[in-house]
Amino acid sequence: MNLKIACVTLLAFSLAGNTFAQTTVKGRVSDRDTGEPLVGVYVIYGKGLGTSTDENGFYTFKTDSSRVSATWQLIGYKSVTRQINLRRGETHNIDIQLETETHLINQVVVSADRIEHRISELTVTVSVIKADFLSRNHITDAAELITKTAGIEVLDGQASIRGGSGFSYGVGSRVMALVDGLPLLSPDAGGIRWQYLPVENLSQVEIIKGASSVMYGSSALNGIINFRTTDASNIPVTKFFTEAGLYCTPRNRDWKWWSTPRVFSTLSFSHLRKEGNTDIGFTINLFTDNSYRKFNDEKLGKTSLRIKHFNKKVQGLNYGINLTAGLTDKTDFLLWGNAKDSALIQDTSSVSFLYGRFLAADPFISYGKTGRFRHDFRMRMQSSENRFPVKTKNNARTFSVYSEYQLWYRLSDVASLTAGLSETWNKINSNFFGDHNGVNLAAFTQAEMNPAERLKLVAGVRVEQSFLDSHADKPVPVFRAGINWQAADYTFLRASFGQGYRFPSIAEKHASTTLGSVTIFPNPTLRAESGWSSEAGIKQGLMLGKFTGQADLSVFYSRNKDFIEYSFGSYPDGLGFRADNIEKSRIYGAEIEFFINHTSGELANTLSSGYTFIIPVDLRSGNSGDNVIYLKYRRKHSFKLNFYTTWKRLESEITLFIRSKILNIDDVFIKPMTREAILPGFYDYWLTHNTGYFSADLSAGYNINSRLKLSLALKNATNTEYMGRPADIQPPRNISLRLSGKF
Amino acid sequence: MKKTLLLITTVAIVLLFACKKEKESERFSLLTAHAWTSDSLLVNNSDAGGPGGMLEKFKGDAKFEKDGTGYFGKYKGTWRFAYNEENLVIESDSLQVPLTAKIVLLTGIDFKITTTFPNLLSPQNPFNIRMTFKPKQ
Repeated sequence: MNLKIACVTLLAFSLAGNTFAQTTVKGRVSDRDTGEPLVGVYVIYGKGLGTSTDENGFYTFKTDSSRVSATWQLIGYKSVTRQINLRRGETHNIDIQLETETHLINQVVVSADRIEHRISELTVTVSVIKADFLSRNHITDAAELITKTAGIEVLDGQASIRGGSGFSYGVGSRVMALVDGLPLLSPDAGGIRWQYLPVENLSQVEIIKGASSVMYGSSALNGIINFRTTDASNIPVTKFFTEAGLYCTPRNRDWKWWSTPRVFSTLSFSHLRKEGNTDIGFTINLFTDNSYRKFNDEKLGKTSLRIKHFNKKVQGLNYGINLTAGLTDKTDFLLWGNAKDSALIQDTSSVSFLYGRFLAADPFISYGKTGRFRHDFRMRMQSSENRFPVKTKNNARTFSVYSEYQLWYRLSDVASLTAGLSETWNKINSNFFGDHNGVNLAAFTQAEMNPAERLKLVAGVRVEQSFLDSHADKPVPVFRAGINWQAADYTFLRASFGQGYRFPSIAEKHASTTLGSVTIFPNPTLRAESGWSSEAGIKQGLMLGKFTGQADLSVFYSRNKDFIEYSFGSYPDGLGFRADNIEKSRIYGAEIEFFINHTSGELANTLSSGYTFIIPVDLRSGNSGDNVIYLKYRRKHSFKLNFYTTWKRLESEITLFIRSKILNIDDVFIKPMTREAILPGFYDYWLTHNTGYFSADLSAGYNINSRLKLSLALKNATNTEYMGRPADIQPPRNISLRLSGKF
Repeated sequence: MKKTLLLITTVAIVLLFACKKEKESERFSLLTAHAWTSDSLLVNNSDAGGPGGMLEKFKGDAKFEKDGTGYFGKYKGTWRFAYNEENLVIESDSLQVPLTAKIVLLTGIDFKITTTFPNLLSPQNPFNIRMTFKPKQ
């Protein structure tokens, strides 16, 4: 008996001794640059032993060992490993600061799968534009930013990725624009609201090239552009810039119509801070542009307020609201006077003055446990009004409510699931389009698996149905699948397939108006357009001495049908334009992008480039055979080269653009009966000037101190004369001076 | 081996979705079943199919091929349905603008379309066009 008691007592003391001898290690992990706590950092302190940081960046673990090798890892940051000698029974406090991963191959993007991923692990091509590219190049217009990206062109507001769209008079975008994942298309025209995109407070822009309808629904047929705004950090940040510029004389001096300088200016201010558990962000931006074209001036003001609160009691719960408002007073450019001396003067018959206002409120609530699950519920309530003081028939008011719920759930160590529901309700009151109510319902799910080390598979499906007034479109099911295989440490192979579709916009179905000499007829019988795209690509990280970077090569192929196109003709109601399901097409091509970074002492250089080649073939009836007919408003070749260098307080940048000619345009601009009536002089101009173009942007900056910077940008330094859609002559050489600050 | 199977599965899915065949509609079958011959070609209720008439070149046979090509009197070009198959669009290099007409009647033995065409001399009074066709014997 005594022996038993002795053994039990010994065992108890032994266990207690072990427990008491355990050592506690705790600390906080934060971003080295911003001081912001980092959530979900994996802390690995032995084989099979690990934990992660909480919502405030804190971690704790206990160990019996007297020496551990601990590693702190988070996607998008350089991992840190420390050998720690521990004294038994004591608590060790080890705070870690992680540095952002500089290699582009490890950039984190959120758009492709609606959750964070390294760009190299994706199954689709994603291009990322960092916010500093905008500020260095004095870009204040989102459309200008996008059209300066390889493989993308914006024709009069219509974005086209790898030739997926032509020009359809500003309605029915096949590229979905998102702000932090929420759509920003106008409910009536289905176009991108470029002017209200938050370029003054961006962290980065992510562009998915290819059908993305499974994750983002109708309008993501050709891809998406996600504008991601900056979050507040522990260190309050105030930024401002003020800029003024002027347009130089165009290459064709006969076109210069002004005697006083045509100027443009911008004033922008933003402030981000944390107050306790609440992130607060505020921006305001004012812009005026006298324009290089007569009757095409613009005044724009926009402001935003962002509030995000992290619940103290419930870890992983946060909620808030983003408010955006904008006012614009402008005149859109439609038709020129004539090619001889009035290409930069709008034909007075098409001049329409516009007052626009926009208001959006985006409440959200999110709850999750890092690495296990996450629930997100988000809404966007947006109201807009376009008033035309002269052409009141074109007035329109819209109100829409978009809601979505998304669940991300880790099923096992090798599989996760993303699923969601979304609903959009639109109400339009307009003389132009008529009064309409629309509803769009969708459900989607996507599974992601890692069946083997370095191998990732994704597959997803979505079903969406659109209702307009009493009419219901057929439900549309779409599918996507992709594979990514890390063939070597810095080599990633990918392949993907995705279907896409787009329901016609209210404008395409119901717009009925006369703009100058152009009459537009409604077509309520329009059907959804659809297509699919596939691609295969390789991403290669580069590291050679002081040179680092990446190269990405992809080949792609897409097929589309029932694409909606405005066609000029003689209709039962007269002569004019009407949207119809016409286009059937095949587009294939290749794209290469590379980025090389070199640092030597205080000199840092970055060279990046992108080249896109497409064959856009029109497959509609009668176009088969030896004589290939190309799709309208596409170019075969698009090339961009950028070189950026900094030395001490100086920085400079040059960007070169080369684009080949537009392959085809609407017959209405070519056929003798109509061409002169619509665009005087255009046909002859087109014959001699549709040759492609080369242009260059230059910029230089000087950091006055750590807070203030003075910079100069010379856009279209070559003063190249080139066109977007017919008669849309692009800006001549223009120069601007900017003073910017960060406090 | 597993990776090869996955790639094959992905390619098979792509082909499955790419090769779906579309069904012909009833109107498509009726229009393309045989050649048609112009019966009456009227502008503002007067015959315009004679020499010098506005619709002179539409006189004769018309054939709407299944691949979307065809001939329509002396015009050679393409055709397609529009507006939920209620409209017929004819495009030809010889036509100054594509012609879109309402299909008023389409059966196995009768085909009738109407449209308007702008009158450049009197824009307020467009030409009202009516064309009827019978199956070619």
